[in-house]
Amino acid sequence: MGKKVLVVDDDPDVRLFNTTVLEENGYLAIEAENGEEGLQMIKSEKPDLVILDVLMPRQSGIRLYRELKTNASLREVKVLILSGIAKKTFLRSQQALTEFGESQVPEPEFYLEKPVDADVLAATIKKTIG
Amino acid sequence: MLLIDDEPDILRVLSRSLRADGYEVSTAASGAEGLAEFEHTHAEIIITDIKMPGMDGIEVLKRIKLMNADTEVIIITGHGDIDKAIEALQYGASDFINKPVRDEALSIALKRAGEKIDIRQRLKEYTQNLEGKIEFATRELRRRTNFLGKLIRSSYEGIVATDEDLRIVVFNPGAERIFGHFQEDLVNNRSLAEILPEEMNALFDRAMNAERSYKEVPWREASIESKSGERIPVMFSGSILVEGSHKLGTVAFFQDLREIKKLQRELVHSERLAAIGQTVAGLAHGIKNILHGLKGGRYLVDVGIAKKNNEKLSKGWDMVKRAIERTSDLVMDLLSYSKERQPQYEPCAPNAIAAEVCDLVRERAEQEHAELVCEFDPAIDQVLMDPHTLHTVLLNLLSNAMDACLFDEETGKRWQVTVRTAAEADGTIRFEVGDNGTGMSDEVKEKLFTSFYSTKGQRGTGLGMLVTHKLVEEHGGRIEVETKLGQGTTVSVWLPYRTEKRTA
Repeated sequence: MGKKVLVVDDDPDVRLFNTTVLEENGYLAIEAENGEEGLQMIKSEKPDLVILDVLMPRQSGIRLYRELKTNASLREVKVLILSGIAKKTFLRSQQALTEFGESQVPEPEFYLEKPVDADVLAATIKKTIG
Repeated sequence: MLLIDDEPDILRVLSRSLRADGYEVSTAASGAEGLAEFEHTHAEIIITDIKMPGMDGIEVLKRIKLMNADTEVIIITGHGDIDKAIEALQYGASDFINKPVRDEALSIALKRAGEKIDIRQRLKEYTQNLEGKIEFATRELRRRTNFLGKLIRSSYEGIVATDEDLRIVVFNPGAERIFGHFQEDLVNNRSLAEILPEEMNALFDRAMNAERSYKEVPWREASIESKSGERIPVMFSGSILVEGSHKLGTVAFFQDLREIKKLQRELVHSERLAAIGQTVAGLAHGIKNILHGLKGGRYLVDVGIAKKNNEKLSKGWDMVKRAIERTSDLVMDLLSYSKERQPQYEPCAPNAIAAEVCDLVRERAEQEHAELVCEFDPAIDQVLMDPHTLHTVLLNLLSNAMDACLFDEETGKRWQVTVRTAAEADGTIRFEVGDNGTGMSDEVKEKLFTSFYSTKGQRGTGLGMLVTHKLVEEHGGRIEVETKLGQGTTVSVWLPYRTEKRTA
């Protein structure tokens, strides 16, 4: 049985693309279409990796990432951010939240900017969870 | 005082007694001598004997009166000279006294003469004073008239005044600048109706013909046609000039809005460019997502081909098609937003266009379980309007309304999208697109037209309402949005139209 990967993205085409790449590479893919649903599934499904979009309705990736990294029981879940938003912009948003008095969160370990080729995506996933 | 008598004794006695009374007295022994003396002294009072050798008293009187009509001449007459005395009075003598001259009679005559001189003096002073006052008042009046005239002439506002028959009597340089007519061609010569558009004339006619109460026309935006045929946007106000209950005429004020309109247009244009600049970041994001979709589609197609998996193949192909669609939407929106475009007026039937747009979305409405309600005003006929503007605007609004239902998370709602048309009294057609979907928060409503903004995630270009707004503005119309979060949104667009030009 392959490792479980959760794809969180509001765009159905992106979900289809990502899950296909995952399945073609021997992973078990599950999907959530917004941050809220994503958090629930992380808690219930305990995936090995979360591929996370940033701009989504009902809790953005910025918020969900923060949630994961500040929750002791979820902190170890691996996160690959895959977004149209540049990494710099993502970090600046996190920085702003920290300045507003929220706790510091670590930089994401894996960050890919859309558009991403299927082989690059597959290689990155392999790098994170083998 | 000059005393004339041929009898030296009388001269001596009288002059002594008069000097004693305080008069300054000179004497002459004959009429001729008296006249010479008068030329010299300009005496105010002359007492002359009537009967003298050579020039007699009457002749002296005539000559004196010729030289200075204001001189008081008292005639001394003998007994039986009453006819002569009357003749003397006719020639302007002020009084006569009889010989022998009694002091009492003399002083009465002198007193009368003195009073007459006095009155004449006062009258003269009064007259002079009055002339001065009239001159002053005239000067003041001229000054004020000049001042008012200059005020009217130097006003940057166009001022046009008429008499009660609406004939132009004032047409200042400000008005010349706006209308392109010259004052000398219009004033006292042409009527207001010849330079104003019909609807403005109607206002003046109504106001002038109103029985009692007249109406001021408050400032409003309007447009006039200049001499050269150019439509000129103006702020306009007018009122009836009234004195008591009598209508004197009318006055109208015009402010030239060309410069302001130009600045507004430039501002809108530069705001739009700025919005596009801001949008580049947002656009980049949108384009990245589309590209990602394309790569995804290509990947699925590759996998489908490699594995002969038709399902993957067709899913991948659909992804490619959607990405193409999204690219096309984005580029078309961006193009129509950044490009200046003049509306192209063509004969078209607004109801038919609205029906066409409804047909385009009907299938989607059914899929999303939203009821599409069309209510078209049958009074709307074929008009001159830009069908492209109408089509794009309605399609944008209608797909927004559909999205508002689609994004609505409340379950159990019977979604409804309504499209209405209505002929309005002000010469516009109202197009109303309403839905009972999500509605908008104040924050979203605020950002509706001003910035690149989308609540639709990947589906929106963030330009739809900007494009809609721009098209409506270019068509001279206006747009209003009514919305309540959770209850729905109604967007009303008023577009002016032209009626078919009659061809001869």
